[in-house]
Amino acid sequence: MTDDEPGDVSAVTGGRARWRRRTVIAGLASTGVGAAALGATRILPGTGDAAPHPGAAGDTVRRPADADGFANRDESYASALESTERIAATRSKPPRLLFDTAGEAAAATEVAAPTILDTSDPVLHLLRRTTFGPTPALVDEARAAGIDAWLAAQLSPAGIDDPQADAVVSRLPLALLEPDAVRAAIPRGELFAAEEYARATLARQIWSRRQLLEVMTDFWANHLNVTTPSNETWDNAASWHEGVIRAHALGSFTDMLLAAMRNPAMLRYLTNVGSRKDAVNENLGRELLELHTVGVASGYTEDDVRHSAHILTGRTVANDRGPGVEGDFVYDPGLHWTGPVTVLDFTHPNDTPDGGLEVGDAYLRHLAAHPATAQTIARKLAVRFVSDMPPGTLVDRLAETYLAEGTAIVPVLSMLFRSAEFWAAAGQKVRRPLDDAVGSARVLGVEPAPEGDPLVHPLLWWSGQMGQRPLAWPSPNGYPEVHAAWRSASGRLTAWNYHRALVMGWDEVPVVPPEELVAGRPQATVGEYVDSLCRRLCLQTFEPEHRDALIAFVGADASTPVAGSALPDRVQYLVPLVLDSPYFLLR
Amino acid sequence: MTDERTRDRALDDTPAGPRDVPLDDLPADPARLGPTVIDGALRARAAHVDAERRRRDDLWSRGFTRRRFLAGAGMAGVAGLGAQLATARASYGVAPGTGTLVVVFLRGGMDGLSVLVPADDPHLPTARPGIGVPAGALLPLTRGFGLHPALTPLHNLWKVGAFTAVPAVSTPDISRSHFQAQDCLERGGSGTGTNEGWLDRVLDTLGPGTTFRAMGSNATVPRALAGDQRALAVDRLEHFRLGGGEEVHPQTFEALRALYTGVDHPISQDTTTTLEALDIARLVVAADLQPAAPYPEGEFAARLADVARLIKAGVGLRVACVDVGGWDMHTNLGTVESGAMTRQLTLLGETLGAFATDLGDHLADVTVVAMTEFGRRVQQNANAGTDHGRGAAVLLIGGGLAAGTVPGAWHGLAPEGLDRGDVPGWNDYRDVLAEVVTRRLGVGAGALATVFPGHRVQPLGVMR
Repeated sequence: MTDDEPGDVSAVTGGRARWRRRTVIAGLASTGVGAAALGATRILPGTGDAAPHPGAAGDTVRRPADADGFANRDESYASALESTERIAATRSKPPRLLFDTAGEAAAATEVAAPTILDTSDPVLHLLRRTTFGPTPALVDEARAAGIDAWLAAQLSPAGIDDPQADAVVSRLPLALLEPDAVRAAIPRGELFAAEEYARATLARQIWSRRQLLEVMTDFWANHLNVTTPSNETWDNAASWHEGVIRAHALGSFTDMLLAAMRNPAMLRYLTNVGSRKDAVNENLGRELLELHTVGVASGYTEDDVRHSAHILTGRTVANDRGPGVEGDFVYDPGLHWTGPVTVLDFTHPNDTPDGGLEVGDAYLRHLAAHPATAQTIARKLAVRFVSDMPPGTLVDRLAETYLAEGTAIVPVLSMLFRSAEFWAAAGQKVRRPLDDAVGSARVLGVEPAPEGDPLVHPLLWWSGQMGQRPLAWPSPNGYPEVHAAWRSASGRLTAWNYHRALVMGWDEVPVVPPEELVAGRPQATVGEYVDSLCRRLCLQTFEPEHRDALIAFVGADASTPVAGSALPDRVQYLVPLVLDSPYFLLR
Repeated sequence: MTDERTRDRALDDTPAGPRDVPLDDLPADPARLGPTVIDGALRARAAHVDAERRRRDDLWSRGFTRRRFLAGAGMAGVAGLGAQLATARASYGVAPGTGTLVVVFLRGGMDGLSVLVPADDPHLPTARPGIGVPAGALLPLTRGFGLHPALTPLHNLWKVGAFTAVPAVSTPDISRSHFQAQDCLERGGSGTGTNEGWLDRVLDTLGPGTTFRAMGSNATVPRALAGDQRALAVDRLEHFRLGGGEEVHPQTFEALRALYTGVDHPISQDTTTTLEALDIARLVVAADLQPAAPYPEGEFAARLADVARLIKAGVGLRVACVDVGGWDMHTNLGTVESGAMTRQLTLLGETLGAFATDLGDHLADVTVVAMTEFGRRVQQNANAGTDHGRGAAVLLIGGGLAAGTVPGAWHGLAPEGLDRGDVPGWNDYRDVLAEVVTRRLGVGAGALATVFPGHRVQPLGVMR
C-alpha cells in the first residue's frame, strides 16, 4: 500500500481506485467552470432545430486542464492497467525515505514488492536502472567501486575514458559533422548524415562506458523529441542531438531549453519557421507548454497558447532569400509579433521587434524554472528510474530539488538515488524494446566489425522492428516509457526473434559464440551449465521451476553430464531462451 | 526477499495440475470438428487453450506465488489477484459470436469539411477560397452533403446502403491538442471510470471470447484497447512467426510457457497471449485466404487486409483497431485535382472499398467506424492549410446502417454559430459509438453506462 503518499485514494479503497489525478498545481487555482460545462455539452438528435447550440462559442471552456484528462500519455496508459497499480500498490512504507548517500539508502531499504529478480545485491538494481543493461564485467566494476563512487563517476562522465565508443563513432564519418559541413558533404535533403547519427547513438548505448549519460541523453531526446532522421534534420541531427541534448543532459534544463528554441531542428520540426506576426503558427508555442515544460495540469488557457506562439515569432531558419547562412538559426525582427503578452504568470510588454529574442529567452527561463515544469520533469524522471506509477512523495521531493538547484539535473538525480523509493522498487519495471535490443547486445558481447563498416545498422534495423529505433518516434511527445504502452504480441515475438538473430548470427554481427558464454564457469552437468548461463546473461540463477524448464528444454536431467547430452547441440537455442525469460525482461 | 522466497517455497505443496494437452494429441483430422478445416482446427485449439489455462490458473491459485504474494501484501493484494484470475478465466471460453467492429483511427485530425462537404453552404467558399471542395465536384449524398470526389469507392457503397457519415462529431475534450483529444476519444471520456480504453470496457461487458477477439493491427496496443482484457497487438500476420530452429519450436514454446508461469506481473499474461496467438496465426496463414479484391500499396491497406483475413477465417474477432496517420494538414492541403488531401482520401477510399469487396457476404456482419480526434478550423490559414478545430466527420461502412441518411445535427457554417471559428461538436462521439456497439456487438443498454460513464446516450440513428 502506498502509505507513503498521504491522501492517495488507493490506500483507502484498495481495489479499483486509481492513481490520483494530477490536480491543478497549487498557486494556479482552478476556477472550476470546466467540469460542469463539459457535462452539459450535448443536444438532442435531429437536424433542423434552432435551439441554442451548446457546442458553439460562448460556453466552451478554454483551459485544456478543465477536460480533467491525464497530464500525459504515459500516465494515461499506466492507469489503464490494473496490474500496474497493483504492483505499485504493494509497496510497504519504508521507515526512512531519504539518506545522506545512495549507498546508505541501498543498504537500509528493503525491496517492497515481491519479484523473481535477485534483490540480495542492490548493485544489480542500480545497474538495471541506470544503464542500457548490466554485464558481468560491469557488475564487477560497480561492486569494486562501490555504489557511491560508481554513481559519482557516472554523474561526471567527462572523467570516464571511453575509447571503444569513441572509436566506433569515429568510423561513422558523417555522424558528428556540423551543419555547414553536412551541407557541403551530401546532396540537399538526403538523410545520410542523420541516419549515421542514429547509428552513432545506438553504438554509444551499446559500447559507451558513460552509461548514465547515455540513459539521460535518451531521456532528454524523448522529452524534446525531434524525429531523426527526418526532412527537418537532414543537415542538423548532430547540431541538435550533440549541441542541445547531450551537451546539457547532465547540465541544467534552462540551458537545454534555451538552446532548443534556437536550434533549426526544433524550429523546423514544430513549424515555428513558418510563424510570423500576421500568420502565427501555434504548433511550437503549444507543445512548449504541453510537452516540454509546465504541462496541461498547470492550467494554461488557449489564450496562453496563442501568446506563447506570439513570443516565439521571429525565431526561424535562414534560407537563401533571407539574412544569414542558409540552414542556420536566425532571429528575424520583421516576423516578430509585438504587444503585451501573458502566459500563466509570465507577462511582458514585448513592445519592440528587436527585443523579441530577449523576451523569448526571459519567457523560456521563466518556464524552465516554473513549479509546474519541476513537476513534469520530476515525475518523468521518477517514471524512468523508479516506477511506472511513482510515489507522489518522491516526485515532490525531486521537484523541490530541481527548483532549489536552479533546474540543475545532477542534484535531482543524486536526490533520486538517495531516496528509499528508488531502492524499494526493484523488479517493478520492464525493459522497453530499446532496453532489450541494447541490453541483449551488451550482454552477448556484441563487437563492432573490426574494419570497414562497424555493422551497427543491423542492430538499428532490429531496434526498429522491435518498435523503438533510437530518435525515430514520429510525434513530439517521444517514445512511451511505461510498460502498459508497450504491451504487444508482436513486440514479444520480435524480441524473441531478435535474440535468435543475434545468437545464431543471422546478421553476421560479431557476438561471443554461444558455446563460449559460460567459459570459466561450472559446466560439468546440465544443471551447472544452465545455472552458469543464467548467471552470465541474467546475473542470477532462476527459480527451481524455471530452471527445470530450461533443463527440460535440453531433454536432460540436472545431473546429466553435459558431454554426451543434447546440450552442446541445443546451446544456440538455449541462449535465446534465457534472454526471452522474465529474468532478463524485468528490471 | 530471498529468505522469504525460500520460506514460501518450502511451504509450497502444489501438486501437479491437470495434465497439459500437447498439441500433438489433437485429432488427426481436425476438420471433423467443424464445417471447415480451419474452423475445426480452431475449435481444437480452443479446447487446448482451455485446458492449458485451467492448469495455469490452478498453479496460480494453489502455488507458491500466491502465498508469497499474500505474505507480502495486505487484503488489497487479495482483491488485485482475484481480479486477475477472473479476467484470465473469463477470456478463454469459445464464444465467437457474430459481428466485428473495425475502428479505423485517422490520426492527426482529418478535416471533415473536405470529406463530408455541406455543398450548398454559402460560407464555405468564402472561408476556403483556395482549398474548398467545389460543389460541382462532389459525389451527392443527402441533406445537401456531398463526398469528396476521391471517395468514389465509398459513394458506391452509399448507393447500396453500406456507407454513411455523421458531421460535426466531437469528444467532450476542448483542448485542440492531438494528445488530449485522442486520449479522450480512446478512453471514451475524460472523467472517473475511464482509465481503461473504451473498447477494453466493451470487451469486459461482452464476456468470454477467443484469443483473437480483440486486436490492434499495429506494433503496440492502441489506447482504446488498453486495459486488462488481453487485447492483442499483431503488427502483420505474415511476419508473426518465430524464426530459427524450427526443429525445436515445440520445446521452445513449452519452455516459454513454463518460464512465465508463476510470475506475478503483466508480462506473464503478455507471453501466454503471444504464444496462443502464434498458434492461431499459423493456421490462418496456412489457410491461404487470398484477398478477393486488390488492395492499394502500403501498411494501412496491408493491415486492413489482415483484418479481413481474420474475419473470413472465423477466429472470433470482435474488435479490430487500425491506424492511419497523415491528416495533420497545416500547410498546402491542396485541391480536388491534386495535393495532400486528395492523395490521402484516395488511399482511404480505395482501401476501405477493397476491404468491403474483400469481405463479400461477411460485410453484412461488420461495421467499420473511421474517426479522428478533431476536425479543422473552417477558415483556411495563411499556408493554404487548416489549423486544429473541433467537430469532425465520422465515416461508417458495413451492414445494418441506416441506409440513405446522413444522421446527426448540423446547423451550417454561419460564423455566429461556430465555436471560435470551428465546426462545433453538435454530435457526441459517444452517441455514435454506443449505437454501433449496441447493434453490432450486442452490448446491453445497461452496460453502456460502464462503457461511457457519466454520459446519457442518445442515439443519432446511424444503425437500422
